[in-house]
Amino acid sequence: MTEDTQTPFHDFAGAAGDYYAKTFLKIQKSTLGKAHINIAATIGSFIWASMRGNWLLFWIGFFIDLVALVYIGASYKFKTAAINVADEIVSLTAAGNSAAASNKTLLLERYENWTGSNFLTAIVIFIIGRLVFGWLADRIYYRQYNSWRVDRSKNSNLRVNRLVLSAVIVALIAPLMLYRSTQFAPDARTCIKQDRAVTEGKDVSFKNRFDCKVISDFPTLFWIDRPDKISYPRAEDGTRFVKREPQTGKKPINLHTYTSGVIENVVGYLTAFYGYFFDGVVGVLTVLLNAVTAIFVGTPWPIMMGGLLVLSYYLAGPRIAIFVGSSLVYLALFGFWQTAMETMSLVAAATCVCILFGLPLGVWVGKSDLGRAIVTPILDIMQTIPSFVYLLPAVAFFGIGVVPGILATVIFAMPPMVRLTSLGIQHVPESTKEAALAYGANPRQLLTKVELPLALPSIMAGVNQVVMMSLSMVVVAALIGAGGMGFLVTRALANSNTGKGVLAGIGIALLAMMIDRVVQKASKASQQ
Amino acid sequence: MQEPTTKPVVEVKNVWKIFGDRAEEAMAAVQNENIGKAEVLERFECVVGVRDVSLDVYAGEVFCIMGLSGSGKSTLVRHINRLIEPTHGNISIDGVDVGGLGPEDLRIMRADKIGMVFQNMALLPHRSVRDNIAFALELRNVDAFTRSELANKVIETVSLQGYGDRMPSELSGGMQQRVGLARALAADPDILLMDEPFSALDPLIRRGLQDEFLALSKTMNKTTLFITHDLDEAIRMGSRIAIMKDGAIVQVGTPEDIVTNPADDYVADFVQGISKLKLVFAHTVMVPVEQYEKENKKLGSLKNCPTAGPEDDLDRLVSLAVDQDNPVVIMDNDAPVGVVTKDALLRAIQGEQ
Ligand SMILES: Nc1ncnc2c1ncn2[C@@H]1O[C@H](COP(=O)(O)OP(=O)(O)OP(=O)(O)O)[C@@H](O)[C@H]1O
Ligand SMILES: [Mg+2]
Repeated sequence: MTEDTQTPFHDFAGAAGDYYAKTFLKIQKSTLGKAHINIAATIGSFIWASMRGNWLLFWIGFFIDLVALVYIGASYKFKTAAINVADEIVSLTAAGNSAAASNKTLLLERYENWTGSNFLTAIVIFIIGRLVFGWLADRIYYRQYNSWRVDRSKNSNLRVNRLVLSAVIVALIAPLMLYRSTQFAPDARTCIKQDRAVTEGKDVSFKNRFDCKVISDFPTLFWIDRPDKISYPRAEDGTRFVKREPQTGKKPINLHTYTSGVIENVVGYLTAFYGYFFDGVVGVLTVLLNAVTAIFVGTPWPIMMGGLLVLSYYLAGPRIAIFVGSSLVYLALFGFWQTAMETMSLVAAATCVCILFGLPLGVWVGKSDLGRAIVTPILDIMQTIPSFVYLLPAVAFFGIGVVPGILATVIFAMPPMVRLTSLGIQHVPESTKEAALAYGANPRQLLTKVELPLALPSIMAGVNQVVMMSLSMVVVAALIGAGGMGFLVTRALANSNTGKGVLAGIGIALLAMMIDRVVQKASKASQQ
Repeated sequence: MQEPTTKPVVEVKNVWKIFGDRAEEAMAAVQNENIGKAEVLERFECVVGVRDVSLDVYAGEVFCIMGLSGSGKSTLVRHINRLIEPTHGNISIDGVDVGGLGPEDLRIMRADKIGMVFQNMALLPHRSVRDNIAFALELRNVDAFTRSELANKVIETVSLQGYGDRMPSELSGGMQQRVGLARALAADPDILLMDEPFSALDPLIRRGLQDEFLALSKTMNKTTLFITHDLDEAIRMGSRIAIMKDGAIVQVGTPEDIVTNPADDYVADFVQGISKLKLVFAHTVMVPVEQYEKENKKLGSLKNCPTAGPEDDLDRLVSLAVDQDNPVVIMDNDAPVGVVTKDALLRAIQGEQ
């Protein structure tokens, strides 16, 4: 052990340099005992960590102690509650109300139990937590040493002045946490009542106000007068007009209720005055859907089943055809044939619409910077939104039924089409495009003869994803009346009919696997 | 070898290309302060691709452009079919200013007049060899039958018989290069732009393709701009060679010019170690008869000397001179015009005169 290996340890640790030199050396040699614990750290916990300038350890230690403290507070809370209940029991018994008194006795027992268990938990957390902290201390502190070796401006040594910052943090957090743990927080309803009482000028104690504002739910900061109630009835001549009914004299409402009212008014306005647009969309989609349904549902089952088998055999080979066959038999035997075909037609219709709009959009995004700048952030947002949420706008504008279901599905399933198409287009090598230009290709020829063919594998991957996402969304869309297999599951859930739910669930899973296998194989084959 | 007196097919006049957002600024600075490529990059974050290049390429010649990697060769030829717009200067083909063409005329010119072979081949991976070759024709809406007739003909020309229905990925690199060449030939363009077509190949295949191409270009009489970074190749292929350095042309001339009179140290460095046997001709190394007679004896005493023509190369002179001690006499139209002594011959092979 030369002087050279020792000095940096001492320089770093400052106080108790010998101890840290010895420990760090053991860590470097991997001879540190498995159960090694830093006694000073175990006792000092976050105070020790803050003086050492290790904020990670500070937060770990502080968190452990805080949790223990909160359990102590809870124990205290139940203890005071138990004392109150005991008093009540005494007075109830005195009043001769023994039924109520025995009820309260149960409560008393429960509070006493909780007092004990919370206290015990606090002790256990405190002891184990401190031991874990002590065990972590040197190991984490050693990392601080390593980063200090690289950057000497990192915290080193033992400094008392660092306690100031930690004291501020503790003072900001601990008292309120402790207070919260010793109080039964008022519920939202109580607080709303209290708010009203305050506006009416009644006397409310500071403690109650404080509890509502700070340790209950986030308080309602302001109340808004109700907006006019707006409707769009038809006049004598059949045209719609805007009718406002003032809502004076009613209780004020919070921001949430106010804004949702405004949104409803806007949607109502759009559907009332631009109804022809929505009707047009519904009309077009209905025609498409009818055509697709005619194929899937209208074809007698023997032909359809045979057709699907042959198709999957050609697209995906014998093994998958066998799987498809047995899945179809399951669906047929358990009475899902018609419903499954409905679902298939929904998926097919949604996929068609997705491709129809997604492909050109993808090409635009792939080729133009403007397109990319506009569409990419929208796609990013769309992909983070859970599928459920898409049902809302569909219902708002198109009501309940199959068409809004398809629309929600289309919106949900479109992003991968756009994304993968544009990705494919962007990945066409610059040199290949240049060659086409050098031989005199015009923009249309460049797109159809070079870019789209080269992007085809990516586009097919997009179609594959669209199909799968459509299927999952079509099932969810049963909630807004899209029908199909999803409806069976929703109904089974509503009636808590486990058996039927399981059968329908298996049916959906088989349907999904079937489509996935076939589409995947087919799109892989098309890439070769 | 000597420039025909006809109008040039490709005329490049004072072309500049500077890549980057501040190209105009950089260009002004280069012209006024004559700063180099590195300084332009540092001061303007612009890359000088081509620097004041002027060239004339005449019908039927193979014009080689040669230079190290990054010297701007590819950039220069891309200007000819306007895949790149020049920062300054203009290019004309058959007297038509390329920069002035509208999009449709430009496409017609590219499709009809110019065939291009790319450094990286740039074949279309999703099309068969035949469809790749017929691509230019397809763009011109030639019908499928004529297309495949023409393509088959070119496939034979580049000896790829039997591979018409394969995909490019099934072919070796050399074969792919030939597909690239065939694609350029298929539309029967007047001008071929060949960007290092043989660089990626091993020496044997390369030689084979060079010979094939030379034979082809003789029979088909195309005007070719041939890029290479290999002087041997430039000398084999080129009727004239332009040497580029940092975007500028440092010397243009016949292979012999370049080898015997390098314009500067850069070219001299290139030329060093190149065999002169096939490049230097009798008329360059001979001493005129009068001078020879002044310094030595009468020519009359050299009756038994071997004779050669002024256009014979060193290789031939060496074979004549090995068997005897007498110098070689150069005869032009049956009259002696000069003498090459053994000393002079050895010096010439060494590269000094
Ligand atoms: N699109 C571009 N943008 C910016 N700089 C470019 C661009 N194309 C070429 N350059 C620059 O221009 C210079 C000349 O490039 P060029 O490709 O013409 O070289 P080259 O002589 O063909 O080289 P090689 O033998 O490696 O093909 C290089 O410095 C290169 O970095
Ligand atoms: Mg190049």
